[in-house]
Amino acid sequence: MSVDSFVYGYMVSEETYEANDYIIKEGSKGDWVYVILEGQVKVKKMTSKGMVTIDTLKEGEIFGEMTLWQLGKSSRSASVIADGLVKVGLLSTERLLKDYESISPQLKTLLKSLIMRLAETTKNAAILAVESN
Amino acid sequence: MKNYKTDTFSINRLKFKKDETIIKEGDYGVSIYKIIKGKVRIFTESEGLEIPLVTIGPGEVIGEIIFLSGGSERRSASARALEDSELEVWHPDMLSKEYDQMPPILKHLADQALNRFIRMNKLLVQLTAKKRQRQEKLKQGDPWAAHRRYYRKEVKLEFVCYPVGVGGGFSLKGEIKDISHGGAGLEILPRKVSKFPYKKGDELIVNTLLPNDKALDFKAKIVSVRKGRTPGSFFLGMSFTDLTDHALKNLGFFLMAA
Repeated sequence: MSVDSFVYGYMVSEETYEANDYIIKEGSKGDWVYVILEGQVKVKKMTSKGMVTIDTLKEGEIFGEMTLWQLGKSSRSASVIADGLVKVGLLSTERLLKDYESISPQLKTLLKSLIMRLAETTKNAAILAVESN
Repeated sequence: MKNYKTDTFSINRLKFKKDETIIKEGDYGVSIYKIIKGKVRIFTESEGLEIPLVTIGPGEVIGEIIFLSGGSERRSASARALEDSELEVWHPDMLSKEYDQMPPILKHLADQALNRFIRMNKLLVQLTAKKRQRQEKLKQGDPWAAHRRYYRKEVKLEFVCYPVGVGGGFSLKGEIKDISHGGAGLEILPRKVSKFPYKKGDELIVNTLLPNDKALDFKAKIVSVRKGRTPGSFFLGMSFTDLTDHALKNLGFFLMAA
């Protein structure tokens, strides 16, 4: 998967991370949204029984967008860690929010609901994944 | 049911009683439901067993997967009201034009979230199935678990026990807390708390007296050891390995009595 051209329109800067660097730390505050330009990242989640890898994201994928929809709730729901050398693009939160504000309440509800379901399902899967290790 | 119009589409409200099915996995359907009031469980079925995925509440939407994935597919999961609930029904046509005109980046994010969601759902189902298998195996490999299914009577019976093959000099005293046809739960207060002499797998001979003054002697294997209620004590879960016919009869009568 490559980076879609329209994504570049939202990019404000680039960052490079070394292997095992934290790009996002679970529980921390922050509202940057990232797109992977090169390399891949691991998504990890903390549970009461330890840390578990729940997903691997590759080039072109956007992450850190969850806080975007959950206004006021800006703590990160998972950690994102560089899996080797990674180059990411930082996307303008303001522009993304402006786009989000332009859509109808129904579509907003739909998107928000999807994100919440994803967060909830991820949390449940993470708990089971740790148990099965 | 209340009807009102938004633009050209009507939005219906439906009420569901507790335990009523809203969406059935495998059915064809296009409607999207927004929860106005109540709680809804989303679940899937695997080998006849229900696997809960998420529980959602007011403000959240269900049935959106088919719309977002753009297919005329069947429902990927079931939804059931956990309490009396009220839902708003949206027809997808109401949203599709707008969805198509949405800024591409939002569509991209929605697609991505959908794919991740489907992936996480699959993982959740797999892991739940695995967990059930593990539990099943544990039950089969542990005779105690099967024995525990029998009626267990709570008792307070003093006992003396000693390991099989060793004389009475090593005996310990304690109290039987519960007993069934399959085994018993023993609380022991060791003489030296720091040194508890028994471990899982050890076989003990236990002598006790039932409330009707009938002696009950049995051999049993320790299947679990944990801390007892009394400080410093240990609670042994035991499974009978040898019970004389006589003892079995006495125990049977005792268990039958109210």
